[in-house]
Amino acid sequence: MTKLHLNMAYRRVNGNGHSITSKLSHNDYGIHQLHRTGTHNICMVSDFFYPNMGGVESHIYQLSQCLIERGHKVIIVTHAYGNRKGIRYLTNGLKVYYLPLKVMYNQSTATTLFHSLPLLRYIFVRERVTIVHSHSSFSAMAHDALFHAKTMGLQTVFTDHSLFGFADVSSVLTNKLLTVSLCDTNHIICVSYTSKENTVLRAALNPEIVSVIPNAVDPTDFTPDPFRRDDSVITIVVISRLVYRKGIDLLSGIIPELCQKYPDLNFIVGGEGPKRIILEEVRERYQLHDRVRLLGALEHQDVRDVLVQGHIFLNTSLTEAFCMAIVEAASCGLRVVSTRVGGIPEVLPDNLIILCEPSVKSLCNGLEKAISQLKSGTLPDPEKIHNRVKTFYTWRNVAERTEKVYDRVSREAVLPMDKRLNRLISHCGPVTGCTFALLAVLNFLFLVFLRWLTPDSIIDIAVDATGPKGAWTQQYSFCKKGEENKEISESR
Amino acid sequence: MANARVVRWQKVLYERQPFPDNYVDRRFLEELRKNISTRKYQYWSVVFESGVVIQQLCSVCVFVVIWWYMDEGLLAPQWLFGTGLASSLIGYVLFDLIDGGAGRKKSGRTRWADLKSALLFITFTYGFSPVLKTLTESVSTDTIYAMSVFMLLGHLIFFDYGANAAIVSSTLSLNMAIFASVCLASRLPRSLHAFIMVTFAIQIFALWPMLQKKLKACTPCSYVGVTLLFAFSALAGLLTISGVGAILFALLLVSISCLCPYYLIRLQLFKENIHGPWDEAEIKEDLSRFLT
Repeated sequence: MTKLHLNMAYRRVNGNGHSITSKLSHNDYGIHQLHRTGTHNICMVSDFFYPNMGGVESHIYQLSQCLIERGHKVIIVTHAYGNRKGIRYLTNGLKVYYLPLKVMYNQSTATTLFHSLPLLRYIFVRERVTIVHSHSSFSAMAHDALFHAKTMGLQTVFTDHSLFGFADVSSVLTNKLLTVSLCDTNHIICVSYTSKENTVLRAALNPEIVSVIPNAVDPTDFTPDPFRRDDSVITIVVISRLVYRKGIDLLSGIIPELCQKYPDLNFIVGGEGPKRIILEEVRERYQLHDRVRLLGALEHQDVRDVLVQGHIFLNTSLTEAFCMAIVEAASCGLRVVSTRVGGIPEVLPDNLIILCEPSVKSLCNGLEKAISQLKSGTLPDPEKIHNRVKTFYTWRNVAERTEKVYDRVSREAVLPMDKRLNRLISHCGPVTGCTFALLAVLNFLFLVFLRWLTPDSIIDIAVDATGPKGAWTQQYSFCKKGEENKEISESR
Repeated sequence: MANARVVRWQKVLYERQPFPDNYVDRRFLEELRKNISTRKYQYWSVVFESGVVIQQLCSVCVFVVIWWYMDEGLLAPQWLFGTGLASSLIGYVLFDLIDGGAGRKKSGRTRWADLKSALLFITFTYGFSPVLKTLTESVSTDTIYAMSVFMLLGHLIFFDYGANAAIVSSTLSLNMAIFASVCLASRLPRSLHAFIMVTFAIQIFALWPMLQKKLKACTPCSYVGVTLLFAFSALAGLLTISGVGAILFALLLVSISCLCPYYLIRLQLFKENIHGPWDEAEIKEDLSRFLT
C-alpha cells in the first residue's frame, strides 16, 4: 500500500521533469557517494509538522526553505495527519512525506524501533539522503530515524527544542533514552545555551559536539503598527497556550491585582487550553468582562494583528528553551515583561525586556514599571525597537549556521558497527547499553534482510525537486519567494 | 584597537559573537547546583521516626494474637470488652490532657457528640453482629485467612506514616483493616465474639493511631516508652503462640528500626540531584485566594 503511494508519487513527478528523470532513474544508488560538491541531501524527520502548529513545526519549515535557497536538497518526513498522507509539495518544491504510522500520544508515533525501518530505508535510498536531521526529543519518529540512519551508515544531526528536569521518574527514563539515542549521533543542535547545558547533562554528551543555533522569527511578519492600538487605555497582551507550564495560574493572580490598581488597564489573552477555565472564573469573580478579552485559539497569521493592539507583552512561562513569543512581540514594538526562566534571559538585551521572578508579586512589579515608563513616555518608539530586533534572529542566519554543522558532519566518519556497539555499551551503562546494542544488531540484520528482499539497485531514484539539479529550482526562480503560498500542490 | 581588547564570551543569543557555535566557555554549567534540597539525616532521629512503622506492625500483630486467643477460647470476650473499654476511656482522657484541650477547641467538637457517635457505633455493631457472624459462612476458611492477610498487608502499605506520597490513603488503609477484622471475626464461635472483635479492631486501628500521633507531637519521650512497651508486649504475646514467629518478628522490628535508617543515611551519600536554570519554576504562592 505504502509502496504504491511512493511509486505513484514518483510517476507524478516523472511527468513533470522528464528529461532529468531519464538520466537519473537507471543510475545506481552509489551515486550519492559522488554527490559531494558542497551541497547536501538533507532529510528532516519529526513527528511534528504542518498541519500541526508550533515552534518545532515552523522551525523545520523555515529552516528547510532557507536551506533550499542555499542550494541544498531538502525533504521532510513526518507521520500522516488524518487525511493528509502520501507525498505533498510545499513552497519551492519542499517535498514532504506523510508516512502511514500510528499516532500514539500527543501527535507522537508509537515506536517499536523496527517497524519504520522498511519505509524510512526506502525513502533514504530513493532520495539519496546523506544527512538525517531529526527534530524534537518528544518525537519517537525522530529517534527511530536516527537509529535507522546510523544502521545504514548515514550522518546524523539532532535538534533539541525543549528543556527537561532531572527530578521525577518520567524524566529519569526519558533522559536515559535520550542518552542512548544521542551517544552515537554526529552532532546536536540546541536552541539556547541553557538548552545546551540541559541536553549535555541529560544525555551525558561531550559539549564540543553540541552547537547552539537559536530559533528565528520572520521580521517582515511582525511589524509594528502604532495606529492600531488605543492610546487612551493601556493594553497588556498575552499570547500562549493556556496550560500550566505557561504559568497561566500566575496570570490569574496578576489580572485582578492590576485591574484593581489601574482603572485604565485592559488585557487581551490569545490562546486556548485547559487553564482557560480559571481565567474565566477570575473574569467572572471580579466583573472584568469589558476589560479582559479571551480570544481563544489564534491562527499564526492573526498573531501579529493581536500583538499590535497592545502596549505591553506579558509572558508568564515556567519553563522555556528559547521563547519565540517574546521576540515576536518585541519585533512588533511592544514592551516585553517576562519571567526569568530557562533560556529567556539570553534572548533579548536588558533594555528590551523586563525580567521578573515567577511570582505574582514580582511580575506585578515588573508590569507596573513598564506601565510607569509608558505613562511617562520614556519608552522608545516601536519602529526603533523593531529595527533593532529584526537584526537579531533571521532564518537565513540560522540556515547558514546549520549548514556549517552539516559541512562539519559530512567530513566526519560514521561509526562502524563494532565501534557503535562499543560506544553504546561503554556510554549507556551495562544493562541499557547491552540491551540497545542487541537491538542495534537486530536492526542491522533486519536491514540486511530488507536489502536482500529489495536491493538498493532496484529502488527507483526520485527526481530531485530541490537541490543543485532540482526540477523545481530550474522551473521557478527564487525571486518568487516573497509570495507566501505554502501549499502549491495540495491535490497533486 | 579592536583586536587588542580580548573579546569575552557572553551567554546571549542576540549578538553575533566571534566564537564557533559549538564553543564551550569556562562558564559552561556554572549555574549548575547539586543537592539543593537534600536533607542531612541524623541516625537517632530517623530511628525515632521509624517508631510509627513499628507501632503499626505491632498493632497488626497484637490484633492477630488476640483473635487467635479468642478463636482458641482462651480469652473470654467479656474480659476483652472490659479491658478495651477501660483503655479507651483512659486514652480518651489522655487525648485531651496531653495538649491541654487545644485540639478540641480547634475542632469545636463537644463531648456529647463524641458520646453520641460512640453509642451509635456500638449499638449498630451489636445489632449487626449476628449478620457479621453468618455473612461469610459460605466462604471457605482458607479464603478468609488469605483475604485477611492481604487486607492487613494493604493496611500496612497504605497507612499514613507521615510521608507525602500518592500511595498514602488513610481511608483505604482503615477500611482494609476493618474488612480484615470482619473476615476474621466471622470465624469466631459466637456473635458476641464477632461484635467485640470488630470493636477491638476500631480501637486499635482507628483510635490508637490518633492518640499515638498526639503523643509523638507533644511528649516524644513518653512516645518512645510507649512504643517500646507496645513492641515488647506484642512480642511476648506472639511468643506464647510461636517461638519462631516471635524471633522472626523481633528481627523484622530490629531491621526496620535500626538497619533501615543506617542504610538510608549511607545511600544519602550517593545522592546527586541536579538543579539549574532549566528546571521548571515552581509557583510558591497560594493562588486560590484570588478566586474566593
